[in-house]
Amino acid sequence: MRYFGSLPGRGSSMVDSVYFLIAVSVVLIFVFPLYWGLSTSLRAPMDTFTVTGLGIPGIHFDPTLNNWLDQLVVPEMRKSIFNSIVISISSSFLALALGIPSAYALARFQFKLIQNRDITIWFLSQRVLPPVATVIPFYIVLQTFSLLDTHLALILINTTFTLPFAVVIMRQAFLDLPIELEEASMMDGARHFGAFWRIALPLSAPAVTATALIIFAFTWNELLFALVLSSKNAITIPMFIAGSFESRGVQFWFLSVRTMIAMIIPIFIALLAQRYIVRGLTLGAVKG
Amino acid sequence: MAEVNLKNIRKSFDGNEVIHGVSLDIEDREFVVFVGPSGCGKSTLLRMIAGLEDITAGEIFIGDRCVNDLHPADRGAAMVFQSYALYPHMNVFDNIGFGLKLNKVNKVEIRRKVLDVAKILRIEELLDRRPSQLSGGQRQRVAIGRTIVREPSVFLFDEPLSNLDAALRVQMRMELEKLHERLQTTMIYVTHDQVEAMTMANRIFILNDGVIEQIGSPLEVYRNPTNLFVAGFIGSPRMNLISSSILGVQEKQLTIQLPGGKVLPLKRNTEDLGEGERLTLGIRPEHLKENKEGDEFFEGTVDVVEHLGNETYLYITDADKNLITLIAEGESNTQKGETVHMGFHHKHCHIFNADGEVIN
Repeated sequence: MRYFGSLPGRGSSMVDSVYFLIAVSVVLIFVFPLYWGLSTSLRAPMDTFTVTGLGIPGIHFDPTLNNWLDQLVVPEMRKSIFNSIVISISSSFLALALGIPSAYALARFQFKLIQNRDITIWFLSQRVLPPVATVIPFYIVLQTFSLLDTHLALILINTTFTLPFAVVIMRQAFLDLPIELEEASMMDGARHFGAFWRIALPLSAPAVTATALIIFAFTWNELLFALVLSSKNAITIPMFIAGSFESRGVQFWFLSVRTMIAMIIPIFIALLAQRYIVRGLTLGAVKG
Repeated sequence: MAEVNLKNIRKSFDGNEVIHGVSLDIEDREFVVFVGPSGCGKSTLLRMIAGLEDITAGEIFIGDRCVNDLHPADRGAAMVFQSYALYPHMNVFDNIGFGLKLNKVNKVEIRRKVLDVAKILRIEELLDRRPSQLSGGQRQRVAIGRTIVREPSVFLFDEPLSNLDAALRVQMRMELEKLHERLQTTMIYVTHDQVEAMTMANRIFILNDGVIEQIGSPLEVYRNPTNLFVAGFIGSPRMNLISSSILGVQEKQLTIQLPGGKVLPLKRNTEDLGEGERLTLGIRPEHLKENKEGDEFFEGTVDVVEHLGNETYLYITDADKNLITLIAEGESNTQKGETVHMGFHHKHCHIFNADGEVIN
């Protein structure tokens, strides 16, 4: 990792220090709530409201794993994790499977009846529409097909909402690829599909991975449609967390565990995928 | 092995025609160069032959097949791109063997062919490397290797040397010439660099604004440009073009005015010419002498002197404010501000009529 402050031509050390302080403050603002959640998840219910100071486990209270052990065996917890994983991964795959070919077509072919740019803007416009406006129509459609409270319903709905991301991001990724590479492959004997499959797609792996992660995160965090379209079988993690407000009030110690688990899984997946997001994959393809 | 014939080829982008009915015949095993300024349509023409660009009208034949509707891969042509276009996610071996793999050639055969090509191009030790680990010259060799291995009947080169430095360009130029000798295949080479055109081509096709201005061997187009465009485009520094007018017309003789008022009689076909008509006199910089040497001379004042060692470029303003370039052999003693008497021979004069066509 390069520390930019040490690059030649940067300002004085005073300016560097100010930048450093700003950076640290921003990190603290983002990290502290996460830390506080982790700290709370390790406290006994009694300690939740009584701990003072920074709430450092082992110093300000005696940490315990009881909340975690309790929550991990709750059937709804396990079910919601499983559901969220299935729905998020399926939506990512489906949105990419539909979005990548559309994006490639928009990047490489000129459509005559409707201009490429208009089609792209139409895709984008789907994201402008407030999702809540479509809740009732979707509910009725899914009810008609007896799909309420099923994985498939949430997979389809989330795919509908994330497809524009896939199309817009991947279209730009394909546009950024030098077209000569695909032309060279066609001179070598590849058809359009071969040029896409053997050249354009492998070279877009970083963009595919990044798009998959964005869709995964979006679907993982989706609450509105999960609440409306699911009741028992297809509950997701956000639904389960939102339901933490019980007759006894909010049990912050359990809520913290649920929140931590909801965060850990996407972080773990992002870390796994990170190695595919490498820059400069096309380096050396064309002059440069 | 194949000849390439273009019959009245036209190309329009969004209704805007950029190639205006080009017809040409390239013989089997010929090395031809399409040369012209940026935007003249030379690359578009090459891409249409390759099949990477649709043809608006006309027919393209490679060998005796009309290839208009054939996929690029089915035309028997291979192309080297300006940007090399190497597959960055494959090593050199796979880059070269990719076309064979697509054509379902067996692995042993692919290996043999790739190694053969690597040997010809002296890149055997690079086969495991990725394109990003190669220098410009090495990448260019791999790009050429990728075309050779498919044994095409026509090679297409789209400004393949323009990304290389000057020294490497000279070296690669010679290697391409040797390659042509060795492979004995039809080669079509696009460039805007007239040195490449002059040194490599059997024949040069000079294009401008989507039409062919002249076709001929390098020396032919250099010695006898048929119009003003070719006269100005071929040759570096470019030919001096001096606007003038006709003072008198006799049978087979033309009298024109030189800068400063002198009269220049020239033997030319005078049909369709009349007194007072505008025309252009062209003289190459190397055909002008500093010291009245030749049949005629005119005066000018030296603005800039450039010593290149083996020759000296003098940039001169004549009496009519034309900017004239003169190449003197060796080191000239002429100084800036001096008056020079630029001598020349009648045989080195090119005369172009008001439409820019040569008058022979």
